[in-house]
Amino acid sequence: MTLTLSRPGRVAVGRRSLVTKRNIPYLLVLPALLGFVGFKAYPIVAAMYISLTTGAGAARSFVGLDNYVRLVNDPLFWTSLWNTGLILVVQVPIMLLLALLLALALNSSLVRLRGLWRLGVFMPSLTGLVAYGVMFSVILRKDAGLLNWLLSLFGVDAIDWLGSPFWARIAIVIALTWHYTGYNAVIYLAGLQSIPKDLYEAAMVDGAGSARRFWSITVPQLRPILLLTVVLSTIGTLQLFDEPFVLTGGGPDNSTLTISLYLYQNGFRYFDFGYAAAIAYALTLIVAGFGIAQMRMQKR
Amino acid sequence: MINRRGALALALTGTLALAACGGKAPEKGSGPVKITVWSWKPASDGLAAVAKDFEQTHPGIKVDVQAVGNPAIWDKITIGMAAGGKGLADVLHIGIDYLPGYMDKFPGGLADLRKLGADTYKDAFAKGLWPTVTGKDGGVYAMPWEVNPVGFFYRADLFKKAGIDPEKIQTWDDAIEAGKTLKEKTGAFLIGLNKPAAGGVDMDFYQSLLQQQGAFYFNQQGEVTLASAPAIQAMTLIKKMNDAGIVADTSGENTAKQLISGGKLAVLPWAAWAVSYIPEMRPEQKGLWRVMQPPAVTPGGKRAAIVNSTHLSVSGSSPHQAEAFKFVEYALTKPEVINKVFKEGGVFPALTAAYSDPAFTAPQPYFGDQPALKTFVDALTEGADATYYSGDYARALKIASDAQTKVLLKGADPAAALTEAATLLSQQTKRKLAG
Repeated sequence: MTLTLSRPGRVAVGRRSLVTKRNIPYLLVLPALLGFVGFKAYPIVAAMYISLTTGAGAARSFVGLDNYVRLVNDPLFWTSLWNTGLILVVQVPIMLLLALLLALALNSSLVRLRGLWRLGVFMPSLTGLVAYGVMFSVILRKDAGLLNWLLSLFGVDAIDWLGSPFWARIAIVIALTWHYTGYNAVIYLAGLQSIPKDLYEAAMVDGAGSARRFWSITVPQLRPILLLTVVLSTIGTLQLFDEPFVLTGGGPDNSTLTISLYLYQNGFRYFDFGYAAAIAYALTLIVAGFGIAQMRMQKR
Repeated sequence: MINRRGALALALTGTLALAACGGKAPEKGSGPVKITVWSWKPASDGLAAVAKDFEQTHPGIKVDVQAVGNPAIWDKITIGMAAGGKGLADVLHIGIDYLPGYMDKFPGGLADLRKLGADTYKDAFAKGLWPTVTGKDGGVYAMPWEVNPVGFFYRADLFKKAGIDPEKIQTWDDAIEAGKTLKEKTGAFLIGLNKPAAGGVDMDFYQSLLQQQGAFYFNQQGEVTLASAPAIQAMTLIKKMNDAGIVADTSGENTAKQLISGGKLAVLPWAAWAVSYIPEMRPEQKGLWRVMQPPAVTPGGKRAAIVNSTHLSVSGSSPHQAEAFKFVEYALTKPEVINKVFKEGGVFPALTAAYSDPAFTAPQPYFGDQPALKTFVDALTEGADATYYSGDYARALKIASDAQTKVLLKGADPAAALTEAATLLSQQTKRKLAG
């Protein structure tokens, strides 16, 4: 395919083959590059243009930064930003701490059938969106839901998980934690297993206890992995869409409206593609900002 | 982060998707013209039944009715419209809630049927429908098929137990008083609403209260009327009902169905489609249900309201618009044909000439031998005002639903919640607030 792109005249004149040792890596990369340009770079640039227009279909008209001005003045956008931030601040630390504990347990030689446990921990992150949504709406139902039934055994009154603005956010946090903890635990497990055993042996010879070994060997050795999961989880949460979409639809009273969900509603429910593209660019800026800040913190 | 394998996979799926999009090549040659129709079940069954008759009288045209499904059909049509009409069926079944959006935001997406003679049927359909299929340019972009006037389906046994004569209920305020007695004597709620709107909005009831007053979220000029006096009046009624403890919360899957099974919902303010839906859903409650026109908002006010309607449109990109319209004309404008569609697909016809059929006055055993359909024919004879959905209906619906949730969950003041909602709607859509 790539060879047909060459200009025959040039090959004939120079008598040089297009396939030389020097440019073969470029030729090999070319299909990926074409794919990137066609399916990633073009949409990114096109979305930039769309974010500066209004209307739909063939009737697009250029409006400059109108959509961005609208965004800054839109209370619903700020609500969605606030909700996303709140979920981020609450959910990510809980999930990562849980994942670390799980990884430590799964790495312990005291646990039998470790393979089975690891599979079990990872399974939730493979669950499809629809199955996941149906399952959680059954678990979280106010009447005769599994979770409320469990709580009732401890004398707790039924909680309206999806119908109250406060509890709906908690419900999203629970669902997210269930879905992604195992995924992070597997990453931590890989990190734990790459720590050289002799470090622990040397520390034991020096008389370090298990707490000391954890804080002085495990945590520093895991630092790059910890950072990776923090960055990945932050980006993932900022783009949060699936859980509020299937469980609450952003309600009640917009308490679980996230940036991505608001973007979706504007684009595909209200046909306001220009505004949706502007939201997408705002989200990109936020994600980039968080990513850079976290990388900087790591360097310090 | 794209790797080579990813790019290849992307390139492959891209090619496949392109190939799939380009699937509908116009037929050439002298064979019969084939037109495709997108609809959803059970309506599509009715249309498919008459399509066979149509093919016999029109040998040059083949009709393929496809049950795309609802809500899947909206995404399909939207994507087709955004792609300049590529891949759309020739005939599209479109609900009134989506039609103005397609008319406004995708100019040329739907064919102007006026050129094909649709104007001659201007007065053939239930009052209030024709303005909604007419564009700002005077073009006709759909033909009315289904019309859904609102009904007041009630449990006769529960009303009797509470000692209430439903015929005496003239206004919604009367209904609230009846609701209090019902709750006290039978434990049943008057109506149910998805209060937190979790999983989806529940605005049909609020909208029907607006429509009974000839009002809606927008007026004919497209200005925002969400904070108008009728809008506040309607929301105040809902708040009154909620404060009286006669509104059940039907959020959550199947909650409403369970309440109905248990006899905990005395009234279902549903539209004409429920005449066939309730007997299907609860065959064991045969004889318990009756239907009448809903009470008015104000004493002596209008009781009729058209909750919604659906239509058949011809896509602007169809190469066979004339043939497509011929089929639409055949299916929707002849009483005997549309009544066959009704019988097979349960779609209440918009064509007024259809109501002279005895089926519309026949007693129905499920409703205690009451002629249930006649209630709706009466409502349409009284006539309902046109509802102006506008191209921004989806956004208005969401914003109004948020206001209703605030009133029901947080006890917000209806006027304050609606004023806030109207301001937001006007800001988001750049539409004027009606004075």
